[in-house]
Amino acid sequence: MSGLSFYRLQQLISPGLPIGAFTYSQGMEWAVECGWITSADSLEAWLHSCLHDSLAVLELPVLARLRVAVDSDDRECFQHWADLLLANRETRELRLEESQRARAMTAVLEKLPDSKAMNLACWQPALAQTQLAPLALACHHWSIPAEDMLRGQAWSWLENMVTVAVKLVPLGQSDGQQVLYQLSASLDQVVADAQACADEHIGAFTPAAAIASSLHETQYCRLFRS
Amino acid sequence: MTVALGTPLAAQPTGWQARLSLGFVHRPAQARTVAAAVNHVGPLRIQRPFYPEGDICHVYVLHPPGGVVGGDGLHQQARCAPDARALVTTPGATKFYRSAGTTALVRQQLTVEAGASLEWLPQENIFFPGARVDIGTDIHLHTDAQLVAWEINCLGRPVINELFSDGQLQSRLRLFVDGRPLLMETQRITEARHLSAAAGLRNHPVQGLMLAWKVEPALVDAVQEQVPGSATELVGTTLLEGLLVVRVLGHNAERVRALMASVWALVRPHVLDRPAHAPRIWAT
Repeated sequence: MSGLSFYRLQQLISPGLPIGAFTYSQGMEWAVECGWITSADSLEAWLHSCLHDSLAVLELPVLARLRVAVDSDDRECFQHWADLLLANRETRELRLEESQRARAMTAVLEKLPDSKAMNLACWQPALAQTQLAPLALACHHWSIPAEDMLRGQAWSWLENMVTVAVKLVPLGQSDGQQVLYQLSASLDQVVADAQACADEHIGAFTPAAAIASSLHETQYCRLFRS
Repeated sequence: MTVALGTPLAAQPTGWQARLSLGFVHRPAQARTVAAAVNHVGPLRIQRPFYPEGDICHVYVLHPPGGVVGGDGLHQQARCAPDARALVTTPGATKFYRSAGTTALVRQQLTVEAGASLEWLPQENIFFPGARVDIGTDIHLHTDAQLVAWEINCLGRPVINELFSDGQLQSRLRLFVDGRPLLMETQRITEARHLSAAAGLRNHPVQGLMLAWKVEPALVDAVQEQVPGSATELVGTTLLEGLLVVRVLGHNAERVRALMASVWALVRPHVLDRPAHAPRIWAT
């Protein structure tokens, strides 16, 4: 990867990217409220479960396929995988998050000097459906190797979730860093599993997180949008 | 490979293949829906349809062997032609026994055309320790169709404290409306950690999934009040563009079924414009 591609990837996965990533908890706010997540250990168990039973088998395999579709200029295939990702999102709130993040990320790309070259309009409506779509498109455009893209997305998801949990539980900053340090060690495996995942095995299996997200939709007092 | 003379086909590693195809058609002259096309191969069949409500065709699907082993196949299709109305259930649980190595396949395809309704309410699947099962369910709806469907999966037999200590279950459900994928739902229990995963089953051996189409947002609040969840059952309800999805994690299959039956009773008058009378077979 060239130096420039590396910096572009850092920009895409930075918590500073104005897409509001830290405003979504993906059901964790309810999981904290009901006492499932109360400590660094229970947070680590929750995120471990999400990494292996969702990221490795849904988000990252779909991101890899979106990227292949862009690389081969196959818009139909790109749209297919965006539709499939959305159909796999279990709740109304998770689907809303997906589309809000997608639009925010596409809006960031639109304001960059090379937005014309990315030909954004050609890749709609996928770009408004899932954040993974504009991410795959930008990574293609900036020659970021597919594996680095997957690693970047895995890291970015994990870092955001830990940041959100530190506020929610609440945990000390050093607890958060411990969890991040522990779980980073399994990210290579998560990415490898994602790369090996066959089409027919794509699909998350996180029923407790799906129920938590459903219950978050009507949670009385909440700070996060999901 | 040698096969002893006289070995019945069912004992061979290919397993016992069963197919059932149900075609429901609305007959205006008789003011009822009939099971006009019924084809079966192997040990899946139906009892004579009956009409406790007058027009809606009620059908019990029977699987006389009583259990499924590795290598067996259960293939079911049900299609409701325009304006046809059918309710399909089973007289008991479907049991999947320990496998000697091969996987049992279940394939279900449900199609509901314009103005038609299908209620697909089988009793629970019970997976014995060591079972290997692959379930695939595809549901194709016309936007003007009505559906209430559920799937209840019980890992091991929790009432006798038997865990699904080994074995594999993969289940994939896909629901399409006018050909567009609206929901894809996966269950994957292939490693011991899946039984206890923090964002996964959390040591709940019973999973229920219930779907209803098409549902107004106002009904979702009523469902949430009806089944708020309890100390033993976790219940999550959401609405995906008119598709009501209720997910349950529990410890007792009968209780999960009773809970989902109470949701069925609540949504039926709204989705099908009919009061709910539980099929008598559920009480036996």
